[in-house]
Amino acid sequence: MEKKKDKIGVYICNCGTNIAKVVDAEAVARYAATLPNVHLAKTYKYMCSNPGQEMIAEDIKENDLDRVVVAACSPNMHERTFRSALRMAGLNQYMLEMANIREQCSWVHKDRKAATKKAMALVSGAVQRVLKHEALESMSVDMNPSVLVIGGGIAGMTAALELADAGNFVHLVEKDDHLGGNIARVDLTAPYYYSAVDLLSERMTRTFEHKNIQVYLNSKLTELSGFVGNFAAKIQKQNGLSEDEAKAKEVAIGNVAICTGYKEFDASRVTHYGYGKLPNVITSFELENMLKSGKVETKEGKIPKYVAIVHCVGSRNKEFHTYCSRVCCMTALKYAHEIKSANPECYVSDVYIDMNAFGKGHEDFYRQSSKAKTLFLMYDKENRPVIHKAGPKDDCEMLIEVHERLSGEHIEIPADLVVLMVGMEARDDSHEIAHLTNISQDKDGWFIESHPKLEPVATTTDGVFIAGTCVAPKDIPDTVAQARAAAARILARISKGKIEIDAVFAEVNEDVCSGCRICNVMCPYSAIEFDEEKKKSHVISALCKACGVCVAACPSGAIKGRHFTDQQILAQIEGIFSKVEYSEPAEVS
Amino acid sequence: MAIRVNPGYIEVLDKFGAEDVQMCYQCGDCSTVCAHADDIFKFPRKSMRQLQMGLEEKLETSLEPWLCYYCGQCSEQCPREADPGETMMSLRRWLISRYDITGIANQFFNSRTREILTVLLIAVLTGIYLTFYGISGGSIHVYDGEGAFLPSSFIHTFDLTVGGIMFLFLWLGALRMWYFSMVKGMSIPVPWWLYFKKLYEIPFQFITQKRYAECENNGNSKLYMPWLVHFGLASGYSIMIILIMVFVEPLQAGPEIVWPLHIFGYLATIGLLIGCIYFVRQRIVKTKHVQYKKTHSTDWMFVILLIIITVSGIVQHILHRTGYLEAANITYVIHLMAVVPWLLRMPFSKWSHLIYRPMAMYFAEIQREAVVRQQKLVDPLSITIK
Repeated sequence: MEKKKDKIGVYICNCGTNIAKVVDAEAVARYAATLPNVHLAKTYKYMCSNPGQEMIAEDIKENDLDRVVVAACSPNMHERTFRSALRMAGLNQYMLEMANIREQCSWVHKDRKAATKKAMALVSGAVQRVLKHEALESMSVDMNPSVLVIGGGIAGMTAALELADAGNFVHLVEKDDHLGGNIARVDLTAPYYYSAVDLLSERMTRTFEHKNIQVYLNSKLTELSGFVGNFAAKIQKQNGLSEDEAKAKEVAIGNVAICTGYKEFDASRVTHYGYGKLPNVITSFELENMLKSGKVETKEGKIPKYVAIVHCVGSRNKEFHTYCSRVCCMTALKYAHEIKSANPECYVSDVYIDMNAFGKGHEDFYRQSSKAKTLFLMYDKENRPVIHKAGPKDDCEMLIEVHERLSGEHIEIPADLVVLMVGMEARDDSHEIAHLTNISQDKDGWFIESHPKLEPVATTTDGVFIAGTCVAPKDIPDTVAQARAAAARILARISKGKIEIDAVFAEVNEDVCSGCRICNVMCPYSAIEFDEEKKKSHVISALCKACGVCVAACPSGAIKGRHFTDQQILAQIEGIFSKVEYSEPAEVS
Repeated sequence: MAIRVNPGYIEVLDKFGAEDVQMCYQCGDCSTVCAHADDIFKFPRKSMRQLQMGLEEKLETSLEPWLCYYCGQCSEQCPREADPGETMMSLRRWLISRYDITGIANQFFNSRTREILTVLLIAVLTGIYLTFYGISGGSIHVYDGEGAFLPSSFIHTFDLTVGGIMFLFLWLGALRMWYFSMVKGMSIPVPWWLYFKKLYEIPFQFITQKRYAECENNGNSKLYMPWLVHFGLASGYSIMIILIMVFVEPLQAGPEIVWPLHIFGYLATIGLLIGCIYFVRQRIVKTKHVQYKKTHSTDWMFVILLIIITVSGIVQHILHRTGYLEAANITYVIHLMAVVPWLLRMPFSKWSHLIYRPMAMYFAEIQREAVVRQQKLVDPLSITIK
């Protein structure tokens, strides 16, 4: 039986004036109507609007269209929208092709004639390509409700409790021999002086006692296999004593929340601060210990008359880290308050670059610090202070030499105790976690979210979420918010029970595969398994992101990218190179 | 060479009235709104910073505090309630104590009790001295001429002595100001002839207080009240000093009224009275003018003495002309008991600005031209002055 002739509907969006001011949309529609198989071609002000979508759906039903081309913005923006319009009309959603005539045409060109011709060529390519589209079906897999949480700090515990309270089993893996993370090292928090111990202790008790949480102390994740909904994780106890403990424990989970936190910058890397050489130059965490013990004093046991707090140690300069660690400014102000209230005779100098008081209550806190007569001295980020020992005639232990920006003077600040506000750094073993869970890190080692604004806790690996200071430096409220967000994202998936997997992925034709395994190492998502028995490679569709690397790499041409087949791409190229004509219409007055 | 920061120095200035300077975060709004700040004299911002950092020597050699007339706009604009206007005022008080070699000013500014006790002591000593003098040489029933209780020729000598002491300390202070600002604080050469070229600044600024009138007035009124009141007060004050130092004999003699002289006396008295009433009213009612929000204890001492002087002067004048000679003599003693501490206090109080301010403006103009000359020598294109 001869296949009936395909009927294509072409829709050209004006995008208000975004497209129409550069591209003659009407001319593109007229041109599209002349292309083979095109049944109708229309323009509309906003194709993505409800009336626009309804128009497409109605056209499909009325004219019995079986393929659709939308020439509008980037498919990143609205492919989902138009796919749903197709579904509404009862058409397979993969029978859609978008021609990007906004980002790749009207926004980047000025010449109306050339831009219109380019839009025509792009539409021609889309028409040729959509003819080769195949109806594809999405798959769904079961979601295992158990969750693996890596890291037992405030973020990990918060996420674990949120998930466990909702009735799901959580495996909480902590590298250290105790829960609490970095906050356990802190005395009071800024700006409201909540005790860090109070913040933690209730959570720690609940985490340990929760029937739905299994805590693994002194343990690490050593392997993660499978895909979203059905991961298998191996948890290895470090320096386990018994033979039983030495064996890695394997657990089945559906999602992973990574909350591994940060480590503090090593202050001895900044040579002119004399950390490690001058006994009374200490880090913020060392001061926290003093505050915990209730005594701020020098190594010689004297109460300091002059205390200097140096900001941005390791942060905000080209030599170490260019980013801001976000919590140090308020912590420094907290120190100034605490030192001054413990000893009103003491003078606190706060040596800073900028005062970053962005959070709730922070600006007021800064104001209070000024009121308490903290001396704020500004230095240049590329011209750091130098700390050295004072002379025998000076009334202080050390002198901090610096070019003070607000006065323009080269000054020396007296100090008996210097506190270095050490910044946050990605943990040394964060690349191991990234490798095991198949997520990415930025140049500073922080884990990368799948969208910095709209997807702050998701990663490019489905089922793996990140929260807290392993993503970037942040304070406790932001960390807790992210932990709860990650838990909420996971709970939403668990409550759905199943997970939809996009039908666009790579497939190996096992008859053609030679078992060379080139694709195995190329795949950036570790989505290709090798079947040792058959000696053939196999794509785990749930993990595949359809990037096409394996398709291009396969020397036997055995891998097909669904929805990105050679025929489809070649047809599109051919369409783009077809001859287009356009002459601007005469001005009608 | 690095300058040592002194985080504790802010406490010293606290006593002089700079209670809020620590709030300043150097946004510079104050200098933007100031009618007098420019590229060379960057106040109040710069002075605020030097004070926060305790750069004592920089402050001591600076003239900036004297260029401020405390219109109060900076304090109104300040987003952090750091009160730059009051800080500049406090720095003027502090500078007065720095120019003063005796240390008396420092005592007065730092302790209200000491100031009150000193003033009372001088008043009592004056009273005792004048009473004994009156009894020993004359009669309480005679006001002038032969056998007068306090003969005008004696009063003239007495006034000149007290006034001389006052002026001696004032000019010693002015000399110290010159040394600090023009010798210790100058890193560039100052040509000697500039001192002559700019000499007109002293009488000009003293008489007109032109810069005070330039302080903007929020556009509320063309008539700038604080300037007008200050002008009235300062004129009355100066006329009075000239009258008692030079013309006290014909003024006191009586009983007839010497109109060509007395008219000045009456005008000056009216000026002083209005000034006193305005001063008290502004500080009690606390009007919109920021500059009256805070009052140092030494300010009150000045105005209380001035009120006593003015009122007792008026009463004494009336009593004398109406023939109550005994009462006139007693009132005169009371009048002088206030005049003496008031005059002697001058070099050690805020009111020494009578001399210091025109002098500072004179030195500042010399500095300005010296800086511009230097910039031209170094790089003709680097002249940034407006």
